[in-house]
Amino acid sequence: MKGILNFLVIAVCAVSTMVAQPLEVVATTGMVADLVQRVGGERIIVRPMIAPGLDPHLYKPTRDDVARLLKAKAVFSNGLGLEGRMEDALRKLSLRGTPVVSLGEAIPADKLLRDETAPDPHVWMSPSTWALALPAVAEALGRIDPAGLDVFQRNSRQAAGEFVDLEERMKSRAEAIPANQRMLVTSHDAFGYFGRATGIEVVGIQGVNTEAEAGVADMNRIVDLMVARRVPAIFFESTLTEKNVRAVIEGCESRGHKVRVGGVLYADSLGAPGSGAETWQGMLEHNMATIEKGLGTQK
Amino acid sequence: MEWTDVDTWIVTAGVLTAVACSIPGVFLLLNRQSMLGDAISHAVLPGLAIAFFLSGSRDLVPLLSGAILAGIATTLLSEAIRQTGRVEPGAALGVVFTTLFAAGLVLVRLVADEVHLDPACVLYGSLELAVLDGNPVPPIVWRMAALMAMNLFLALLFGKELQSVAFDERHATACGLPTKRLRLGLTMATAVTAVLAFESVGSILTIAMLIVPAATAFLFCRSVPGMLLVASLVATAGALAGHLLAIGPLPGLFRILIPSVGGSAWNSAGVMAATTGLIFFGTLFGAALIRYGNRPLGRKNRDRNQPVSTDSSAD
Repeated sequence: MKGILNFLVIAVCAVSTMVAQPLEVVATTGMVADLVQRVGGERIIVRPMIAPGLDPHLYKPTRDDVARLLKAKAVFSNGLGLEGRMEDALRKLSLRGTPVVSLGEAIPADKLLRDETAPDPHVWMSPSTWALALPAVAEALGRIDPAGLDVFQRNSRQAAGEFVDLEERMKSRAEAIPANQRMLVTSHDAFGYFGRATGIEVVGIQGVNTEAEAGVADMNRIVDLMVARRVPAIFFESTLTEKNVRAVIEGCESRGHKVRVGGVLYADSLGAPGSGAETWQGMLEHNMATIEKGLGTQK
Repeated sequence: MEWTDVDTWIVTAGVLTAVACSIPGVFLLLNRQSMLGDAISHAVLPGLAIAFFLSGSRDLVPLLSGAILAGIATTLLSEAIRQTGRVEPGAALGVVFTTLFAAGLVLVRLVADEVHLDPACVLYGSLELAVLDGNPVPPIVWRMAALMAMNLFLALLFGKELQSVAFDERHATACGLPTKRLRLGLTMATAVTAVLAFESVGSILTIAMLIVPAATAFLFCRSVPGMLLVASLVATAGALAGHLLAIGPLPGLFRILIPSVGGSAWNSAGVMAATTGLIFFGTLFGAALIRYGNRPLGRKNRDRNQPVSTDSSAD
């Protein structure tokens, strides 16, 4: 009798752990995966699709990605055109019934930066802007795991607080940089939100999308700017070629203004494991420290 | 590696495209025009730009029509230059497609610099994503099946005539065949095939399948129907084996050799094209070995073989 009871207890426990198996969802970029994991906690397993070091503007899903997308309970993307070659696939996936949540599109439109044609998709660069996507993630996870909704909302509120604190810290660090040198020149326009959050002026050699190549006129404009403002450093991005940046450095040198390489910034992708930038927060801290070091010291 | 719906449709679409391309490929090879597909992949650019300019949209239908028209323009122009008889055919094609490609680059900059006109939407179709359209059969499977049927039909209808044109154009003309129109028809069918296949499975696989299966068949076939059959078989085998390699052994091998790279499946179209290339090299090597094994040992030996083998001149 007791044996049977024990067996039943064990069986019930086994069944309940089976039910509490974390649900699998897919996220496009590492940054999106990081945010969804914060909200989901232990109830959700998030699989990022685009590996560190790959450019999301150009990424195309592989066969394994597609198989995983078809099996996922929900899919989270950055949206706003960041995953340019996956938008079609994500739209089709949502037509097939998989919930697809775009974090960028969950952020109120008046909080987005935009140029004449389209919004700037690099929203994770400003923690306070990125935090605006948290409620939508909690809600979406709550739909696939209703029992966890409270947990998700609690995690989301906690994360929002931490994000705002992080932005405050970044801002005060940026303000320590001498005002005339507060100018960040990078490979492409990925730092608009970062600039808005920290008060650093930002200039990209390529436009918002990395597919459009920079022309000679773009290069000259940037060289003029750097020479005029005596900007001390220029920065590489981890996912892009160094060619354009080298060209600007040479352009400045030919005009008698010596520019140094400030270091590598993580813009469109997290760093590899062990780089210190393998989480979203680590990425922002790494960028901030690199920029401080590059621009901070008075010449 | 488990087999899923994704794989079923990748292989189906891949095999259909491969066979659809290998059919005109045989006639292109016999006509010494194998690189036409490659030329068209560059020459579509001005077609895309003009179609975009006229339609003002990035919808597939106008872009695809523009691309097909540009492909046909490539064939018309290079045929016209070829027929002046003053330029080598390969050079005629080269002059035309590089000029069109360059014009295309300028046009894209002019009409579509601000808008994001991505040639990739027409050139690098994706087999991997086909399954997402499935309901349950993805439309590209129907499209490629129709393309294959069209090419088979045309080959059955005009195969003999095309064969005569390919082997002796003057003789064919003397026999009263509309030589010029036949050649033009072949190149136009190639343009349509190439552009539709680019959009569905990408330019690499398309160009490879227009050339490699026919080249493999040419190594040992001595008749056009035989070449068509062998080319189709090579195309099918390359597509099937390519996908199997792409999802299993190749990423597995890399997981062992370079663990840090990880082991996601490889691009199927790319591995299909490479596998077909391997089949060609394997056949070339095998044919050389067989020839070496069968080589006549001496004059006497050959004389003894003479009445039996009618084909010893091929050795």
